[in-house]
Amino acid sequence: MLIVVCIKQVPDTTQVQIDPVTNTLVREGIPFIVNPYDTHALEEALRLKDRFGYRVAALSMGPPNAEATLKKALALGVDRAILLSDRVFGGADTLATSNVLAAAIRKLHDEFDRVGLVLCGKQTIDGDTAQVGPGIASRLNFRQLTLVDRIVNLDSVGRKIRVSRKLEGRHEIVETPLPAMLTVVRELNRPRYPKVPLRLAAAEATVEVWNNQVLKLDEQNIGLKGSPTWVSKIFSPERAKGEILGDGIAEPAAATRMLIDRLLSKDLLAL
Amino acid sequence: MKTLLIGEYREGKLLDSTYELLGFAGQLGAETAMLLVGSDSQLPACGGTLYLADASQCGEYNPDLHKQLILDAVQKENPDYVVFLHSSYGWDLAPRVAAKLRVAQVSEVIGLAEGGFEVGCCNAKMRRTVKPATPKAVITIQAGAFAPQQPGGNPSVQKVTASVMSNVTFTGYEPAEAKDVDLTRAEVIVTAGRGVGKKENVPVIAALAKALGGELGASRPVVDAGWVEHSHQVGTTGQTVSPKLYIACGVSGAIQHLAGMKKSDFIVAINKDKDAPIGEVADVLVVADVLQFVPALTAKL
Ligand SMILES: Cc1cc2nc3c(=O)[nH]c(=O)nc-3n(C[C@H](O)[C@H](O)[C@H](O)COP(=O)(O)OP(=O)(O)OC[C@H]3O[C@@H](n4cnc5c(N)ncnc54)[C@H](O)[C@@H]3O)c2cc1C
Ligand SMILES: Cc1cc2nc3c(=O)[nH]c(=O)nc-3n(C[C@H](O)[C@H](O)[C@H](O)COP(=O)(O)OP(=O)(O)OC[C@H]3O[C@@H](n4cnc5c(N)ncnc54)[C@H](O)[C@@H]3O)c2cc1C
Repeated sequence: MLIVVCIKQVPDTTQVQIDPVTNTLVREGIPFIVNPYDTHALEEALRLKDRFGYRVAALSMGPPNAEATLKKALALGVDRAILLSDRVFGGADTLATSNVLAAAIRKLHDEFDRVGLVLCGKQTIDGDTAQVGPGIASRLNFRQLTLVDRIVNLDSVGRKIRVSRKLEGRHEIVETPLPAMLTVVRELNRPRYPKVPLRLAAAEATVEVWNNQVLKLDEQNIGLKGSPTWVSKIFSPERAKGEILGDGIAEPAAATRMLIDRLLSKDLLAL
Repeated sequence: MKTLLIGEYREGKLLDSTYELLGFAGQLGAETAMLLVGSDSQLPACGGTLYLADASQCGEYNPDLHKQLILDAVQKENPDYVVFLHSSYGWDLAPRVAAKLRVAQVSEVIGLAEGGFEVGCCNAKMRRTVKPATPKAVITIQAGAFAPQQPGGNPSVQKVTASVMSNVTFTGYEPAEAKDVDLTRAEVIVTAGRGVGKKENVPVIAALAKALGGELGASRPVVDAGWVEHSHQVGTTGQTVSPKLYIACGVSGAIQHLAGMKKSDFIVAINKDKDAPIGEVADVLVVADVLQFVPALTAKL
């Protein structure tokens, strides 16, 4: 059985800056990282590999420099790392992205090994739409389990999986036959660090690159043309700087009074 | 314009957040119909058509079946938008519906924008305007982004059902670990930052939280130092919260912290540094020593 992990290279949003003049994202010099949720998906796949001997393939759609992300996956021990990269894939929204990822998974299934599980992050930290995993599941007709925080049991003989889903204030335990697509949250596990021998081997191993000559998808369904969602502008939210209430250092008592009055006037004290 | 709103019902109760869907439709100026898998003893107070399925038969969550109920209602209503809350329910169900209808989805909408919707991106640091180009679209709205609207009245109920073999078997709920606090549900959060100085001072902040009927929050260094449990942490590696009132005590306002709390309705910062970045998101800033100010405040409540 093959486990496919989808990983996206994202800008480190903690370092994203806004150009004060154009009010757009400054992209230069921002380091790229593996989408944090995807590192947990990868870790879980590797744990299942350690335990059951499954094979693991990592997939990423992105520009050529996303190869770095896949190298990291190789260093952690995945069997195959495939970069889906082609100019015609560019400008994709979530629908077009899921189309390409689903096609690559289908190809792996047909030509390499039967796919039992697809693991995705619960969302990315740049686009944050949470749509790609479910999009893949519905295209492949796989069962969909979102927000997974624990794999309770994977029965490889009976081919079913039981997981815990993290919901508001509770966990839901559900079971479904394979193949299934899971989106995962950070509580799932603690990702490992690469071991030296694997890191050395990874430096040698190559990331495979599949373009659209390999996937042969209709250009109407991929890239900009296959994208029904238009992102028209990106900007930073505006908010006026907070008002300073009194002088809490010289006159703390007066300042408490002012704050209480303010909270009362906003109807915030009897919640 | 017409919307099909997907109401939410959980553990035997109609959720109040259902009225936020009506608030959204109100802002759009759209006609509404609603679908609810709930119970006829818990009807939403609004007019219009309500497609009601019985949760005791359909399950509170049975994705294949709920999806079918929604698709049936879409067929009847032919709405421009199918609107969910961006809760775990909408999170899971909305993309299934979008994929089946082969339409665009816009997730976690926080506002309306000319010709589209405003949503957060880059960990809520930025916003963007997104426009679906398909004739219909699926929308999820962020909790708390649209003021609830409770028009009153009675819906005209049409009972519906669907029979679908489910591939996912629900085997039960487990309560979240007892020590977990669900900050996302709290209406008031009072957060201790490194400015509280040491573990022994945390009760001062907790006492204010208690006096306000709220929960204790914490910044990451406070959690890392073991002063407060991780389940209280607010921020990118903790919880994302949007209470009505957020009081940050001795928190500098690092971006990772802001990402978790800046959507709060009203933010008070208590900091001895008047230039601390928390002031950028705070509605009011009290420049004071937390250890003097907070007990004085608590004493007056
Ligand atoms: C700032 C910004 C805003 C955007 N807004 C929108 C928008 O509103 N609507 C829209 O349709 N598109 C939008 N896009 C484009 C969108 O990022 C891409 O379509 C992207 O490939 C998938 O969407 P996501 O990042 O939201 O992923 P999500 O759906 O949040 O990702 C979930 C999981 O899917 C997997 N995954 C996602 N993308 C890839 C990939 N390229 N390769 C491998 N695995 C992947 C990962 O496991 C990930 O954890 C936006 C992009 C940016 C940078
Ligand atoms: C990947 C990553 C993820 C992170 N995730 C999170 C997260 O989820 N949540 C989070 O909070 N942080 C997170 N951080 C850490 C974050 O960058 C900051 O370091 C952290 O938020 C700072 O915490 P603080 O404001 O409590 O402390 P400091 O930054 O040390 O601020 C203390 C503040 O208290 C004030 N102060 C000091 N003494 C007093 C006094 N007596 N009275 C009043 N004011 C006083 C100071 O003026 C200062 O503004 C993350 C960092 C990284 C790199």
